[in-house]
Amino acid sequence: MSDTLELPAELEADAPGPAAFDRALHAGELDACRDVLGRCELPARELAALNCRLSEAFFYRDRREAAIDCARIAFELHPRPQSIADFCAWLFSNCGRHHEAAAAYEQLIESRPGWADGHRHASGSFAVAGELDRAILHAIRACELEPGSCEFAVHAGSLLAGAGRHQEAFAYLTRAGGIAPGDPGVLRRLAAAALATGQPEAAIALARRAYALAPCDRANALDAAELLLRAQLFDEAARIIAARLAVDGEDGAASRMLSAAHMQRGRLQEAIEAIDRALAATPTIAEYHLHRGDLLYRLGRLDEAAAAFDRALALDPDNLAARRSQLTVYFDSGRVRDALSIGGELIRSAPDNEEYAQAMLQVLNRRFETFDGDYVVLGERPARPSRRGYAPPGWGAALATQGRVVHALIIRETRTRFGDSTLGYGWALLEPILHILTLSLFFAVLMHGRPPIGSQFFIFYYTGLIPYHVFVHTSSSMNYAVTSNGSLLQLPLVSTFDVIIARGLLELVTDLLVAVVLLAGFGALGLGTMPDNLAGVAASIAAIWVFGCGCGFINAVITGFCKSWDKIWNQMTRILYFCSGIFYVPGMMPDWLRNILAWNPVLHAIDWFRSSFFVDYDPHWLDRTFLVAAAVAALLVGLALERAARHRLYEPQ
Amino acid sequence: MIALEGVAKAYRTRSGRRTVLDNANAVFGAGHNFGILGVNGAGKSTLIRLLAGSEQPDRGIVRRGARVSFPLGFGGTFHGALSGRENAAFLARIYGARRRTMIDYVADFSELDEYFDMPVNTYSAGMRARLAFAACLAIDFDVYLIDEVTEIGDQRFRRKCAEAFRQRMARSDIILATHNPQTLRQYCDRGAVLADGALFLYDDIGAALSRYHRILHERN
Repeated sequence: MSDTLELPAELEADAPGPAAFDRALHAGELDACRDVLGRCELPARELAALNCRLSEAFFYRDRREAAIDCARIAFELHPRPQSIADFCAWLFSNCGRHHEAAAAYEQLIESRPGWADGHRHASGSFAVAGELDRAILHAIRACELEPGSCEFAVHAGSLLAGAGRHQEAFAYLTRAGGIAPGDPGVLRRLAAAALATGQPEAAIALARRAYALAPCDRANALDAAELLLRAQLFDEAARIIAARLAVDGEDGAASRMLSAAHMQRGRLQEAIEAIDRALAATPTIAEYHLHRGDLLYRLGRLDEAAAAFDRALALDPDNLAARRSQLTVYFDSGRVRDALSIGGELIRSAPDNEEYAQAMLQVLNRRFETFDGDYVVLGERPARPSRRGYAPPGWGAALATQGRVVHALIIRETRTRFGDSTLGYGWALLEPILHILTLSLFFAVLMHGRPPIGSQFFIFYYTGLIPYHVFVHTSSSMNYAVTSNGSLLQLPLVSTFDVIIARGLLELVTDLLVAVVLLAGFGALGLGTMPDNLAGVAASIAAIWVFGCGCGFINAVITGFCKSWDKIWNQMTRILYFCSGIFYVPGMMPDWLRNILAWNPVLHAIDWFRSSFFVDYDPHWLDRTFLVAAAVAALLVGLALERAARHRLYEPQ
Repeated sequence: MIALEGVAKAYRTRSGRRTVLDNANAVFGAGHNFGILGVNGAGKSTLIRLLAGSEQPDRGIVRRGARVSFPLGFGGTFHGALSGRENAAFLARIYGARRRTMIDYVADFSELDEYFDMPVNTYSAGMRARLAFAACLAIDFDVYLIDEVTEIGDQRFRRKCAEAFRQRMARSDIILATHNPQTLRQYCDRGAVLADGALFLYDDIGAALSRYHRILHERN
């Protein structure tokens, strides 16, 4: 009987539809409702509405996942109608699905564009969901729609501050402060914004006002104190926190903050006492132990600091800051191996952190200084014999040292300049010899007859080129003397003067060797003559070398500031080649031209050299005094420049 | 004895001017080993180079009443194209040491063997450091300047260095820049702390260390 009676009902239930749904819902069989909805054919709008009802039922039965599923189905089926969007937004935000809640609110806003509360809700959901930019957009829109709302302005200001847009945050919070000037919470937020926008005075005034409005409110007092701490008013902050602690001595957070204030005032002992009180109230906060360890470390109580960091790490094994501090303590107390293992953990946890890598490198370096991880014990220092007296070096000794240095530099230069070639320094000799031979050959073949002076073209060019080479080689070689010897200048005994003059001396020696070898060669071939006046030849070479040195010192200084100077200088020496009477004698020139050329000291040097070589050559324009004066002047200028620019010529690594 | 008289030294860096010393007056007396303490970037290396004379102060004078070494282990002056032997000979010439004696000592101490006659370019960093260390020990300085002892060679070679140093410390002083308190206590009896352009000398290494720790803490 009962079977037959129930049969129709069951048949009814099997025919899916709103009626069956209602029955199951009333009977509290929610899964059956779900089943009905899954099978029945209804318009989307109706189906969505039913899903909403089911979702609500699930929610109140505490079956959140099922509630969310149903709401999702409803929202996907037909998000348009306000009732559905409204419900979905409500359900999603209550179930912590803030992303979907935000979408539902956006749907609602679409149908009610001027709805300020909707924007505010959407903003809140987006903010919780972590989409700060969209949250800010809605918050600003809400403020625009309802400019008189303090809560909206505070919300927008807080979001903007969180996004680091402090100027805008300050503007909104200022608006909120205007609406509710007596709200300490608003004032505190405004103070924080003022601090972030670089207005510490305003921030301090606001924090004080906030505190004065509700001095007995715990959160207000601590917040205000923190603002004052950040504004570096440590004493005032300490007073406020102390007043708070007088009310409730068991307040761990307040004690922690007091400890920070004491620390900033340099009262490390009191800071430790405060953090000890904080730990007595709440012993399980890792950060408190970390702070205590830092304080102990500052006091040099390394073992206790290490123990404090250990406790912090026991409470919070992932606390990298505690590990980093522990590393420092181990490092400073010489526990290199412990430091090493902590460093390894740090690098494993944060492989991209440069600071950790640096710290680890430091530990590793220290590890290398130790043998088997232990420091070498050198033992007691043996009794020291009485130290020998030391007299500062006299002129003679200083000069001898300089001589040694320049000598060593010259030898080094001969070894390194042609380091790649097997001939080595031989190249330095061969090069100018070949140069003079080819040129002489060229002119000897090109021009017939007798040279202007003497009987051999070879000797004639030789007498022109040797003084010219002394000048050009000396002055040009000094260009890079300083820049290419920068590392040597780190040896205290080596000065810029030494490296410059060493090059000049080497060039002089080389050119003299070339001159002697060539002359001997000419003599062997039967072309040669000995110079008539050896003293005059030597004097002219000395004068042009001094002039070359003067120009060289000037070059070295200019190259120190202008790297391409040597190219300009090389062009100038090439012009000199034609203006110095190497392959002609100035006597061939018209008077006006010779008068101009006579300003060139090299021309005088060559004529001095020639007039000493050939005693019958006695040019009337030759002015030895001019050459000597030019040489001395150049040298003085060069030395003065070198002395003045010495420290700036090279940058030590 | 090395004396600083009104010495000032500053650098232009990318982040602006950095003062290493500002009107520093200090005397590193003979017969004492000094440890120089300073946080990274305080200018310990610069101070060592000023003491060595590798660098000149902007103002003031550094007086040296002794033969002061170049910073120990500093191999920057070696010419890459020259062999270890030629580089050692160069240093012997500069410092007026007997060339034969110096070359023999360096050849023996550096243990470079056949590399001693090959260009320094072909050396590894460790070989270079060994050559530099040997060259510095070969010259008879009154004061050795050491900038942060770092890894040189293998363990056996480091032991040898420590032993050579122990002998040398019987007649020479050292000035050591480091931030390793252990090394400092081991080698030095006096200390100096370099911070924010000021140089403080302490008769007791412990006092210098505690001052250094305070500075470290103020910084954190």
